[in-house]
Amino acid sequence: MSTQNTHLHIDGVSKNFGDVKALSNIDLKIERGSFVCLLGPSGCGKTTLLRIIAGFESASSGRLLLDGSDIAQVPPHKRGFGMVFQSLALFPHMSVARNIAYGLKLRGVSGKEQRDRVEELLNVIQLPSIADRPVSALSGGQRQRVAIARALAIQPKLFLLDEPLSALDAKLRDNMQIELRQLQQKFGVTTILVTHDQHEAMMLADELVVLKDGAVRQSAAPSVVYQQPADSFVADFLGAANLINVGSVQGGQVQLLGKLTAVDTAHADNTMMQAAVRAEHISLAPVAQAGGAAVGTIEFMRDLGPSTEIVVAVDGESLRVRSPNVDCQGLSIGTQVAVSVDPSQVSVFKA
Amino acid sequence: MRVGLLPNEGGGSYRFVIIALAIVGILISSLPVIVVTIMSFSAADNTGFPPEALSLRWYWDVIALFTADDASSAQSVVDSTLTSLLVAVIVMGISTFVCIPLAYALARGDRRIRGGMELLFTLPLVFPLVILGIAFLLIAESLRVDIGIWRIVIPHVALVLPFVLRNCLGAMNGISVEIEEAAVSLGASPLRAIWDVVIPLMKAGILAGLIFALIISFNEFTITFFMYTIDVSTLPIWMYSRTVSSLDPSTLALSVFIIVADVVLIVLVDKLIAGRASLF
Repeated sequence: MSTQNTHLHIDGVSKNFGDVKALSNIDLKIERGSFVCLLGPSGCGKTTLLRIIAGFESASSGRLLLDGSDIAQVPPHKRGFGMVFQSLALFPHMSVARNIAYGLKLRGVSGKEQRDRVEELLNVIQLPSIADRPVSALSGGQRQRVAIARALAIQPKLFLLDEPLSALDAKLRDNMQIELRQLQQKFGVTTILVTHDQHEAMMLADELVVLKDGAVRQSAAPSVVYQQPADSFVADFLGAANLINVGSVQGGQVQLLGKLTAVDTAHADNTMMQAAVRAEHISLAPVAQAGGAAVGTIEFMRDLGPSTEIVVAVDGESLRVRSPNVDCQGLSIGTQVAVSVDPSQVSVFKA
Repeated sequence: MRVGLLPNEGGGSYRFVIIALAIVGILISSLPVIVVTIMSFSAADNTGFPPEALSLRWYWDVIALFTADDASSAQSVVDSTLTSLLVAVIVMGISTFVCIPLAYALARGDRRIRGGMELLFTLPLVFPLVILGIAFLLIAESLRVDIGIWRIVIPHVALVLPFVLRNCLGAMNGISVEIEEAAVSLGASPLRAIWDVVIPLMKAGILAGLIFALIISFNEFTITFFMYTIDVSTLPIWMYSRTVSSLDPSTLALSVFIIVADVVLIVLVDKLIAGRASLF
């Protein structure tokens, strides 16, 4: 990543609330025009980090560099970052048009230009005819779009979103995710979104930052985070991964389901290791075809429509397996099966 | 149709109890108003109840009191009415000016401080009014300067503050910090955000507080009774001094005027609180 392309550099930011360390030494470089998702469970510090970027909290230490200059002393109203809040925080005493135009009015934009810009934004969010409605007359999805339009109206340097979709129902949320991604690409604005929903993060992000207990656990493209989780927390948090204890490293290898599997040479012998395997990457076969693979017993099966979820007990561990329905002929609870994994789809890390 | 939690349909006994309680409540709270209003229409010179004949003569008397040119007593009723109005308006202004920022600070600040402050501002309500009057009189007399109208304004402000503060605080409770932060993120300075977002959203509470202040101050008697002087006196004091020797129906007619004005204001408060309507 070249330095010119770094839009926001979060340089060793820490935040303490009294004795509680909310953030410790966060180091991130956010590329211009990229969509970054801060993902983590509640209390991981993701919202605190966003509020520090917005200027509503100050960092206990570290620097925030926007295009190379430190913005720690810039008050939030002079940062020019558009923000969408969890509660949306639309102004209930103003019409939709006045909500969207508010930031423009503060910037001294003329009345005509304000109206033009509001009209343009309402077209972009596909709600051209609601300008004069009071905010209270809007549906959840409409409010969502108005809040996004209001933040984008000021042509923000950074577009910050704090769990903006969490209040919507599942179907609407899906549609809004697609729209949000399209809007972000259309405006080309550097965007930081906070969420605890891994599907949302996977869907939206160019770069996924997984946080836990105020520290970055992994920061990479979503596909990398999904396929090569850095540790057991990331693997577990990003959807149904099986975590398998694979014992200690011996000669650069560990025992995974009866097969020797190579690990990163950085791990010394006798380091205890864990492996993460996703449910869809485990395959089941008749015992006759085991060929050295581990044999397990089916404990539980349920039909999920296109696929079947199967729980298999192997070597004292319960593995979740998801396989297409066509491969599940003749399987039932109590059946013995051979269990194997595709070694290229396995992540092995220190336990 | 929604099923009531209490069986109140088809003439159940609960219904009878509720109606009986409502009648008692309405009678107790409105009886004085009804009696005063009926007697003000009396044709007789005394205040016997019920009046034997009806007339509007006492209303003409009141109008004459206010319009008569030179009679010394008439001068005094006009003066005291003007003083009452001036005091009420100043009290309204000061209490609102103090309570808006105070409510903001308390709502946004530490919860424990808020509890303590609310208790402090409620003190004048639990203090016996007579003692409060004596206390303010002692303070006023110990001052070496004549503070004129302020000897009545200051006690009234103390009396009115809890009502105004409560209304402003109630209004502040519904305004989330995020909504202010939204304004700030769009480029408003913190003060501008308060002006553009917080104050308009507090409007109903502020107006309700204003009207409470106006009514309480305009009708206040007990403390004012200790504080008034020959130069600075209010309408309730004038009415009391007029009725203390002999009850004159023209005072009752005057009070009907005040009741009507109060009722209009109270209806306004109710509309503002219940309907969240806006006046401007």
